[in-house]
Amino acid sequence: MLIFTRKLGEKITIGDHTVVTLIEIKDNQVRLGIEAPRHISVHRQEVYERIRKANLASSEVAATDIMKASSILKDSQPDKELS
Amino acid sequence: MKIETTRFGQISIQTEKIIRMPHGVPGFPDQRQFVIFEHRPDSPFYWYQSVDEPALAFVITDPFLFKPDYSVNIPKVLKELAWDPDTQLDHLQLYVIVNIPQGKPENMTANMMGPILVNQLTREAVQVVLTDGKYSYRAPLMAAEPSN
Repeated sequence: MLIFTRKLGEKITIGDHTVVTLIEIKDNQVRLGIEAPRHISVHRQEVYERIRKANLASSEVAATDIMKASSILKDSQPDKELS
Repeated sequence: MKIETTRFGQISIQTEKIIRMPHGVPGFPDQRQFVIFEHRPDSPFYWYQSVDEPALAFVITDPFLFKPDYSVNIPKVLKELAWDPDTQLDHLQLYVIVNIPQGKPENMTANMMGPILVNQLTREAVQVVLTDGKYSYRAPLMAAEPSN
């Protein structure tokens, strides 16, 4: 891992088109500004990881389970209307 | 054209129905082309089948069926995606990926935090990551616990 020391307002460039700017330092938090080309997706790591794991888990739904899920929902409709 | 799928065998699709995902989806960055088809006429689910990976198919649904007040800040998302800011809502479709745990369909959840936004005009789609903390990535679809 490359490690840089940066002061407020200083930047790091990654490749030709991605720039990270240190925008604010406050207590134990820093705010970073990221400029990147459109095809690069930038996310908070923990959020991205959740979505990634959810996608992995959702990619293995069995045909039998979707049938059951579908009929459970159908059966639950009348109850929903009553409540 | 015909594509191979693990679940449905060989299926015919219209090439103009293919949805391109320039970013892939998190976890499957290399899968860039998908098609949507109905699970069954009376089912709220659709399949989101990868064109190039036969084994990859997500179950998706319309989030508004389960959460009528579901809302996504579309102008903000259009800006972030650098899509045409004047894209009409009529041309955009939101889906959420459903997870149905094996053998426990009553515990099905949907990823309301990461909806798939499809632009019908450009046939492009992106899995949007909502960071406002309003929605869970595993929101239960069965509102009430089964009474027993």
